[in-house]
Order: sequence, then structure tokens, then C-alpha cells
Amino acid sequence: MMDHWQRFKASDLFYDFKRDKVAIVSFAVFVLLFVCAFSAPLIAPYNPYDPANIDIMSSEIPPVWMAGGMDDYILGTDAQGRDLLSTMIYGMRISIVIGLCAVLLQAVIGIVIGLIAGYYGGKLDGFFMRLADVQLSFSYLMVAIFVSAVLQAAVGVGRFAEIAVPFLIIVIGLAQWPQYARTVRASVLAEKKKEYVEAARVTGFNSHRIMWRHILPNCMSPILVLSTIQVANAVMSEAALSFLGLGMPVTRPSLGSLINAGFEYIFSGSWWITAFPGLLLVILVLAVNLLGDFLRDVLNPKLYKG
Amino acid sequence: MKKLTCILVALLIVLSLGTAVNAKTLKLAMDADPVSLDPHVQLSGGMLQYSHMVFDPLVRWSKEMTFEPRLAEKWERIDENTVRFYLRKGVVFHSGNPFTARDIVWTVDRLKRSQDFKGLFEPFVGAAVIDDHTVDLITKKPYPLLLNMATYIFAMDSVFYTGTDDQGQPKDAIVKTGYSFANMNESGTGKYRVTERQQGVKNVFTAFADYWDTASPGNVDTIIFTPIKKDATRVAALLSGDVDFIMPVPPQDYDRIAGTDGVKLTTMPGSRVITFQLNQKRRDEFKNPKVRQAIVYAINNEGIAEKIMKGKATAAAQQAPEGYLGYVEALKPRYDVAKAQELMKEAGYPDGFECTMIAPNNRYVNDDKIAEAAVSMLGRINIKVNLKTMPKAQYWDQFDAQTADIQMIGWHPDTEDSANYTEFLLMCPNKETGYGQYNSGNYCNPKVDEIILACQSETDRDKRAAMLQEVERILYNDAAFAPLHWQHLSWAGKDNVNILPIVNVMNFPYFGDLVID
Repeated sequence: MMDHWQRFKASDLFYDFKRDKVAIVSFAVFVLLFVCAFSAPLIAPYNPYDPANIDIMSSEIPPVWMAGGMDDYILGTDAQGRDLLSTMIYGMRISIVIGLCAVLLQAVIGIVIGLIAGYYGGKLDGFFMRLADVQLSFSYLMVAIFVSAVLQAAVGVGRFAEIAVPFLIIVIGLAQWPQYARTVRASVLAEKKKEYVEAARVTGFNSHRIMWRHILPNCMSPILVLSTIQVANAVMSEAALSFLGLGMPVTRPSLGSLINAGFEYIFSGSWWITAFPGLLLVILVLAVNLLGDFLRDVLNPKLYKG
Repeated sequence: MKKLTCILVALLIVLSLGTAVNAKTLKLAMDADPVSLDPHVQLSGGMLQYSHMVFDPLVRWSKEMTFEPRLAEKWERIDENTVRFYLRKGVVFHSGNPFTARDIVWTVDRLKRSQDFKGLFEPFVGAAVIDDHTVDLITKKPYPLLLNMATYIFAMDSVFYTGTDDQGQPKDAIVKTGYSFANMNESGTGKYRVTERQQGVKNVFTAFADYWDTASPGNVDTIIFTPIKKDATRVAALLSGDVDFIMPVPPQDYDRIAGTDGVKLTTMPGSRVITFQLNQKRRDEFKNPKVRQAIVYAINNEGIAEKIMKGKATAAAQQAPEGYLGYVEALKPRYDVAKAQELMKEAGYPDGFECTMIAPNNRYVNDDKIAEAAVSMLGRINIKVNLKTMPKAQYWDQFDAQTADIQMIGWHPDTEDSANYTEFLLMCPNKETGYGQYNSGNYCNPKVDEIILACQSETDRDKRAAMLQEVERILYNDAAFAPLHWQHLSWAGKDNVNILPIVNVMNFPYFGDLVID
């Protein structure tokens, strides 16, 4: 363990990280939000899932510094009378889990398929890319509606609430793998003609090693850029699905569905219901994006030691 | 010479059109558009609003709750079971067919076959042709609400709807979901024809050139009806000038609309009651009146009316609002969490149970938010509710299939009479008579059925009121359903749209009479 840490401290990654202020700040913000989200039951002032804490009579209370604000609710309350800060922290947990896991699923499927298609080419390439075309030609909403209809018929309305999170991860993950597959394939096609690949082949490395250890690291930069975009996309997709009644139950709002619910109140004065979750989402997505930029620069072998 | 005459005639036509018809276009936005073009497919506010545009009833309610002649010019009672209607002459359908007494007989027969309407028309034997422009409506027993029901007889073109269509289906088939001739085509006598329809996107209604009611002050010849589901978007569309008239208006935006120049808000107390039905067939717990009472005690409906509805609703403890025959003043909302917890203990469920709930999210004002609030309130008496909300297009299928233990329904009495609430929502469900058609709670009390059936032929107003009040008391004590509130009605439009003269407590705006300055 110690050994690993020593190796990490001596690595180029850590070296570059220490010198990049933006990376340090965005990493700190991300870690902070991540820790907040996953220690929600410990740090949130209230548990928004416990009905004892929700009183309709205290709905739409403005933030504490505005006229009519109450000390109990620092950022005010939403239309149901839930403490907004607590609901945001719990909602962020759902958004992060769905966003990261769905992207991970997309990436795993997309990278494997893209690498194989790009490297071997021929019929295999044709097959996978047509599969991607088919997948891209219908929207994730259709996949979601179809899968959720089948699932709900199978498990009923009550059970569905419990499996909503894995369901959303799978639907969003499965719907958007072609983005990865196409990007990776395009990069692989460009890379595999290069001399270093020829050299590796001549040296006698097997295809497996060439694909994963030589080509993939050189394709990393578009993958990382795409991933940061996809995280934001997944969070938004989840909000859209929840609104349609296909995602999270309304009693367990994610950041996205909280923003969506508050949208109706933005004109009528209760702007905080949308504004604070919106701000939090922007910060979260921005931190992920900046970290992605940093990783891309560092891991790109073309800039490496440049 | 011939050419000159032609030009002169053309000029004359253009001039006469320009002066006589001061044509106006109304851009209308509602939360949803009609589910079908067939007025008998669904008994709902949206479908009746549509019916008043494209069809004409025998008589209709005026703003003062009296009857206004439409297709019937006058009527008289022949004997205790029969009322004779003298029909307007020279009325034609959109198809060009002339309107006669046979169309009324055909329409009444079809109403008696419709799943949704047959409950309302159960007391009727039917209609009988006397001559081309005279028709009798005959009831089985003396019926106090005969004229109320005549407001639902929207004459349909019997010739147009008879026969089989190109798919070999009968044209008069009443199909709730999926294809039918009547769902896709219309021929009524109303002021507007449907000239373009993309369901859920855009509907265009164009004035019918041969419309009979030339005395109406209405000057709108085209209505472009766009469904806008999202409340905030609908209000924004009005404020930005994209549409001229919106309904319903979300309560959170009342102040903003009232305070904006160029648009105005019109509100009116309504009689639509919003309730939860507790399905006793799905849940044994709900068979216990104590559990049902506990649920009523746990729901703070005054809080919902004040906070979510922003005071634009009246908390309810019974079905009929003040002013109706069945209204009992002594019945008050019963919010008391301690009492509710006590009742749960007495019923043997101190630790509660888990159940499911469904509610629409674009049917009633703030429906999804109300359901969400109710879920947290029920959580306090340890009833864990899994809620699913959905657009009304999907909701009613699920409601009919009774897929959840608690289901939301709002009801506006189509007869403007107390008994109607119970007939549809709480009488023992009976597929043949149509009673209890929307009773997804499966509440069934023979005593209630008996009183309601008896009051259907009671023409003495005081006796009838006593009977209806008795029913409300029984339902209250039984906690047959969980009452929420009576929704207020609201409309908003630009200043030049004269909304007030065309709206009424039924929420059927008579667009044919709309005047735009």
C-alpha cells in the first residue's frame, strides 16, 4: 500500500496535478460534493425522505437572508415544504450515482466495441457499426418507455420505485454507448496505421496487448472529453425520464427533477427552488469537465514529456 | 360585358364579406386537447368543452344556471314521464345533411350504449320521433333532472355516422382507445368544424358557414388550439403574446397575471371535487372503516388548499359544495394527525403498511403536487405510499384497470346535482347500469345505493335534499373516500378577449359566443 502511494507521489500525474491550480480546485470541489452527497444522512439538516420532516404549511419559505426566511431552512423550502438544502444534498447523491454509473456502463460497452471494431475491421466492424446505427436511430426515451413498461408490468408500481436507480443506469447506459463506440473506433483507425503499432506488432506482441496497452492510451483524450459531456447528459436524461414518470418517484427527487419541479415557480417569485439546485448542478458538471480537461492533457502521450 | 359582370360580382362578394364578417382568430392554449373527435367516448371536461364547439346540445346552461334553448326552441311536459321538445328548423350538419328529430333519437340511443354516458342516461327509456321537428324524451319514472340531461344531448349526424367505414368497422362504434370512424371524423351542428388535427400538437377549428345561430354576438371564425402541458410555459405563452386565451391558469401565477398589463384573470368558485379513492378490492386494510378514517384524518386538506392551491380552492369534507342540494354544513374537514395515529392503532395497524398510489400530472390543477403532499402526510401514520404520476393520456387507462391501491379522481357533477357524484364515484360498481363507473375504491353500501336510486324519481325538492344530505352523512362517517378540495375555476386572456360572458361554473366556455374587440 505504502509502496503504491510512493509510486503515485513520484508519478507524472501527481507532478502535473500539483502545478495545475485549476485541477486542484476542481478536484477539491468534486471531492467535497462527492463526500457531501454520500454522507447525506449525516450532514443534511433534515431527512427529506422522512414524512415527519415535511409539512405542507411550511412550503415555499424563502432563503434565510430574505424577508420571511426562517433559521431552520437555510436555503428555504420547496413547494412541498421540504428543506431545500437537505433535498439538494440527497438529490445530488442520486444524480451522481446515476450520472457516473451510467457513463461507466456506456464507456465500458462503447470502448470494448469501438476497439474491437476499429482494430479488426472487416465484417466485425460492419456488424458493430450497423448495430450502433440502429441504436442511435431511436431515442433513449423510446428504450426507456419500452423497458419501463415491461418492468412495471412485471413488478408493479410499488416495487418499481425500488429498482428505479439501477433501471435508469441501465437505460441511459445502454442507450448511449454508440457515442463511445464511434469515437473510439475513429481514433483506433487513425492510430493503428502508425509506426509504433507496427513496431509493437513486429516485436511480437499479441493483438490483445497492442489494443489495450498501446492503442487505447493514445485514444484517451477524446474518451475523456466525451465522458465529461456524457455525465452532464446522463444527469439531464434522468431528469427528463423522471418527469415523464419513468424515472425516480416524485417523492425522491434527484437534482434534475428538483430543477424541473421548481421551474413552474420561477416566474411566480419562488426562484430559489430552481436556482439553488441549478447552481449546484452547474458546479458539479463544471468540476467534472475541468478535471476531464486536466486528465486529457496529462494522459495524452502526444503531449506527454512534451 | 360578361367579364365585367363577373368582376362586379366578385367585388360585391369581397366587400360584403369584409363588412359583414369581422373575422377574428383566437389562439387558444389549454393543458391538453380532446382525446377523440367522438363526443361519446369519454365523459370529461375536455370532451364536453370540445362538444360545445363542434356540436350543439338541445339546451344548455346559462351563466345563471337556467336553461337556454339551443337545438330545441321550446319544450313542454306532456305527462309525468315525458317532455316534448320542439326543434329548430333549417339547421344543417357540417356534412350538409339536414338536422331532424331522427338525429336526436339516434344520439340518445348511442348515449345509452356509451360506457361513460349510459349511467347518466339510465333513467331514460329513450327518445321518440313525433314529426321531423318534434321529439319526445321519455323516462322510466318521473325524473327530476330531465332538462339537466338534455344539456348532454349533442345532436350527432345520424346519416353521416351510419354504415361501415373503409376498414369495414361500423361508423357508430364507440372505441375508447385506438381507431374508430367517429374518433377521426366529426359532423355536428356546432359553430366550428375541425379542419386540422394533430393530436397533442395543434387543432384548428374553422367557423361553419351555414351555422344556424346568427344571433350570437361571437366574431371568432378560426380557433387555433394548441395544447401546452407545462403550466409555466402556458402562462409564458400568454404573457409573451403567443396565445390569446389560456385555461386552466396555475394558481401560483394568479398574482403575476393580475398584475400584468394587457392580460386579465377571471376566476370563479367551482364544483369539481378532488378525492382519493381507497381500493378495498386490492387492499384488505381499506375494508376497515377505521383505516379509511385514519387516512382522512391524516390528510391536511386545508393546508393543501392554502399552500399548494394558494387559497384558490376550498377544502372539502363531502362531495357537493355549498349551494348544492346535498350540502351539509356540519361536515367539516377533519385534519388531526394524533387522532389518525390513534385510529390506526385501533384498527390493528400501529406499524402501518405499504401501498401504491397513482395520480395524473396534467389533469387537475397541481394534481401531482397534491398527490406528493398526500404521500408525505400518510407517511406520518406509517402508511408508506409508492406514488407514480403520469400524463392523463396514460392515466385513465391505468385508472380503469385499477393498477394502484389509492387513485386520484376529480369530479364535477355533469347534472349539476348532488346525486351525480355518488352515482359515478361511490355506488356499487355495476357494468350493466353504468353506476359506479369511476368507483375505483370499490366502496359498496347498499343503503347509499337505495337512497340514491329513490331520489332519482323524487320530484319534491325538500324531500330530495334531505335524502341527499343523508347520503353525504353516511359517506362522511364511513370515510368512503378521502376528500381534498373543490377547485376554483380560472381563465386568463388578453384584454381584448371578453372572457367573462362566455364562461360558467361548468367550465364550458361557449367559444361560439366569444367576442374579441
